[in-house]
Amino acid sequence: MNKIALITGTRKGIGRGIAEHLLAKDWIIAGCSRRQADIAHKNYHHFCLDVSSEKAAMRMVRTVKKELGPIYALINNAGTASMNHLLLTPTQTCHAIFNTNVMGGFIFMRECAKVMTRQKIGRIINISSVAHPLNLAGEAVYASSKAAVESLTRIAAKELGPHGITVNAIGPTPIDTDLIRTIPKETMDALIQRQAIPRIGKIQDVTNCIDFLLREESEFVSGQTLYLGGIS
Amino acid sequence: MRPDRTELTKIILQTLQELGQDLEKPELQAADENTRLFGARCELDSINLVNFIADIEERISDEFNIHLILANQSAMSRSHSPFRRVSSCIDYVMELIAADSSTHE
Repeated sequence: MNKIALITGTRKGIGRGIAEHLLAKDWIIAGCSRRQADIAHKNYHHFCLDVSSEKAAMRMVRTVKKELGPIYALINNAGTASMNHLLLTPTQTCHAIFNTNVMGGFIFMRECAKVMTRQKIGRIINISSVAHPLNLAGEAVYASSKAAVESLTRIAAKELGPHGITVNAIGPTPIDTDLIRTIPKETMDALIQRQAIPRIGKIQDVTNCIDFLLREESEFVSGQTLYLGGIS
Repeated sequence: MRPDRTELTKIILQTLQELGQDLEKPELQAADENTRLFGARCELDSINLVNFIADIEERISDEFNIHLILANQSAMSRSHSPFRRVSSCIDYVMELIAADSSTHE
């Protein structure tokens, strides 16, 4: 039987890459984003919503469970970033980043974990970033939101472990997506030079980690953040 | 469609009784409105209370298309938890249903 994964932020970038990767492996994917996605696949189901809307998230999770079946995996990918000096960061930007990156992830974790708890099995994967361990100047709010995601990951792993649910995070390096297109080339080059393996990341680097964490044999791996590019 | 108190009571008691069967607890299998859910001398530990709450949310969603989150700020800030007894839980869910905008659509 095809397994079902719920992935947030599937319209483009890493989320879309993960969705297409799992669809190719016969998974059933329920994806979401604010706008319509153009992933054309019989096993792809799209929901238009704001991930920080509790009601919308709850409706999506319940609809997926009712109409598609048990949710085996949640991949909390939806995220937003904004590069700004601390002194020039509007409060509204801070709220927007935390609402999507932290609140959205938290709400989906809670609602999916309610379903997974009854199934006694589940995989939750949160997408973090190397911006947190690298303490990147100009990304104070974004990096802090990812620090919160990692803390949620570790604590959720403890609380959900007894129910057969693993909770892990992946911390990608910069990948050529819309999220980093506005960052100047010199800044990006300097960042990549801080990695043990100095190259820009690929979506396949992330899907490789996703495959590992989704494997049934990975049931004993939880509460971890797997950074790419040799960052620690 | 909004459930009345009788319908809601039936759903909540059924949910609790089924949980009692899973947990092999005769007291829960024979639950009524006076059954204690949470606190001293209750039959549910915190994990099973969470399961019970999630099951009620799901049943109300499935049967009445009303999407509630029972563990909300108003429940957590009350001096007496609405989850202390089945009867207080029913009263609380009725309150949430009455306040829920989706039921007025």
